[in-house]
Amino acid sequence: MFLAWNEIIKNKLRFTLITGVLLLVAYLVFFLSGLATGLKNLNREAVDNWKADAVVLTEESDKSLYQSSLTIDQAQEVKADETAILGQMSAIANNGDKKTNVSLFGIRSDEFLMPAISEGDPFSADKEVVADASLKEDGFKIGDELSISSTDIKLKIVGFMESSRFNASPVLYMDLDTLNRVKYGEAVEANEDRINAVVIRGQEPEKAVSDNSLEVIETETFIKNLPGYTEQNLTLTFMIYFLFIISSVIVAIFLYVLTVQKISMFGVMKAQGISSFYLSRSVIAQTFLLAFVGVAFGLVLALATGAFLPAAVPVSFDIPTMLIYGGILVVVAIAGAVFSVLTIVRIDPLKAIGG
Amino acid sequence: MTVLELQQVTKTFGSGRTKVEALKETNFRANKKELIAIIGPSGSGKSTFLTIVGGLLSPTSGEVILNGKTISGMVERERSQVRLGEIGFVLQASNLVPFLTVDKQMKLLDQVKKGNMDNKELKQLYDDLGIEELRKKYPADLSGGERQRVAIAKALYTNPSIILADEPTASLDSDRAYEVMELLKHETKSKETTTIVVTHDIRLTEYCDKVYKMTDGILTLEGNGDE
Ligand SMILES: Nc1ncnc2c1ncn2[C@@H]1O[C@H](COP(=O)(O)OP(=O)(O)O)[C@@H](O)[C@H]1O
Ligand SMILES: [Mg+2]
Repeated sequence: MFLAWNEIIKNKLRFTLITGVLLLVAYLVFFLSGLATGLKNLNREAVDNWKADAVVLTEESDKSLYQSSLTIDQAQEVKADETAILGQMSAIANNGDKKTNVSLFGIRSDEFLMPAISEGDPFSADKEVVADASLKEDGFKIGDELSISSTDIKLKIVGFMESSRFNASPVLYMDLDTLNRVKYGEAVEANEDRINAVVIRGQEPEKAVSDNSLEVIETETFIKNLPGYTEQNLTLTFMIYFLFIISSVIVAIFLYVLTVQKISMFGVMKAQGISSFYLSRSVIAQTFLLAFVGVAFGLVLALATGAFLPAAVPVSFDIPTMLIYGGILVVVAIAGAVFSVLTIVRIDPLKAIGG
Repeated sequence: MTVLELQQVTKTFGSGRTKVEALKETNFRANKKELIAIIGPSGSGKSTFLTIVGGLLSPTSGEVILNGKTISGMVERERSQVRLGEIGFVLQASNLVPFLTVDKQMKLLDQVKKGNMDNKELKQLYDDLGIEELRKKYPADLSGGERQRVAIAKALYTNPSIILADEPTASLDSDRAYEVMELLKHETKSKETTTIVVTHDIRLTEYCDKVYKMTDGILTLEGNGDE
């Protein structure tokens, strides 16, 4: 650390620059990870709120809630610690002022899918809904009458629950009857026991069905199969991994140039008997210091930016993930020092002192 | 008391047509408190001799014994330890670390080795070398002569039993060169070390106890000042 630190002190500008570059890369990594988490939440929040172990869909729906259609009779055959039926429909809701994409969830208020109310009342009567809190930011409020695309029925917001979005749309919870009336219009009589899924809690969820036309899908698999979810994640994850490589390469080049400049100095030190191990350790300590400071500032900057972002930007910082990414950044930076270490080990002290 | 002994040491570079016998069979002995000069023309083998003595190069045959230890058979890691513990190098080129002040050049050695000079001894060394006021300066702010004196301080700081100087005065004018030789002589006597100075400047030999001449890889005793 002695050598490493003194060199930094003497060459402040040089080391500030490289720390600055690492800071920017780290900032970008943290921001992208925040975006990844934000977009994930946008898709899965509602499902996470269920605290369910699995979702039962029809086999032929290919794990898509939208395509799955079964009857309450079939649902009754599903055996688990707890079960809850779910009907779903996507629509556009309009309160006369604002329009937004929504996901309508039809449930039974005495089953576990019933959300906890954070404001207002739970839905009870016909045509009452409990809305996702994020709709408040869009200007929706309790008492709003919502007209729904493709039907004349108006839904009334009677309460809000915590933030609850499904596949990038805010969710409105209502009674299954209300949903089916919106969904099937005149044909409601023939379809009043139609649902999309049975959500279950309990051990060994795969044993919940005996009906061959039904399939039990673990919650995580269910989420991964939401349209766009996996693709989005892979894209962002790929970008983050790419940034890891970039930061490693930047550090490698920077340190390598510095090391090459110092070959004769290292050679003289080795001639004096200072070991390659000591010199290598010094380069690694230096890298650690630069990377750590850069990453720490990048983290602070990312969190600070996050605090000032408008709510519409889907950035949500998950501190444990960020700490892991920060750790990886430091480790890949140190990996970038490997070339320099190899160079140091190979320096022949004899050449350095000349003949 | 014998500090260094070379027994039938030879060094050959290359083989076949490019073969160079840089050092022919050499027997040599150096005692405590001796300041020894090795002179000779360029390419005669002086540096080869010094690097073998300094444990930087292995001889082709023969043995190098330093303080009773045969260093010629050691692997690099062991030789590195010997260099750090027992040898002080003063090189032609500056061997100072550019980003360390004079004081920190010494502190660096404390990082890697125990048993160096204490503060009082260091103060005395700085005074002897006339570099006390340079303690906080970086190498870039020193003159060539000052740098060479700091290099000597660095070589002496670890209390080596032998000091090896390869053309330590090459980058200095003659007044400075005499000063440096004077210093080496003083330090050799007061610290009871052995110093071998390689030079091609015959005028510097007047400070030395023994003068050897190197010609085409053959080392011969020229003058024996004391006896
Ligand atoms: N690494 C080496 N490979 C091949 N030949 C070398 C090497 N080092 C020195 N020599 C040769 O050995 C001879 C002695 O060199 P050196 O000891 O450097 O002489 P001096 O220091 O007296 O000028 C020269 O002919 C030189 O070319
Ligand atoms: Mg030479």
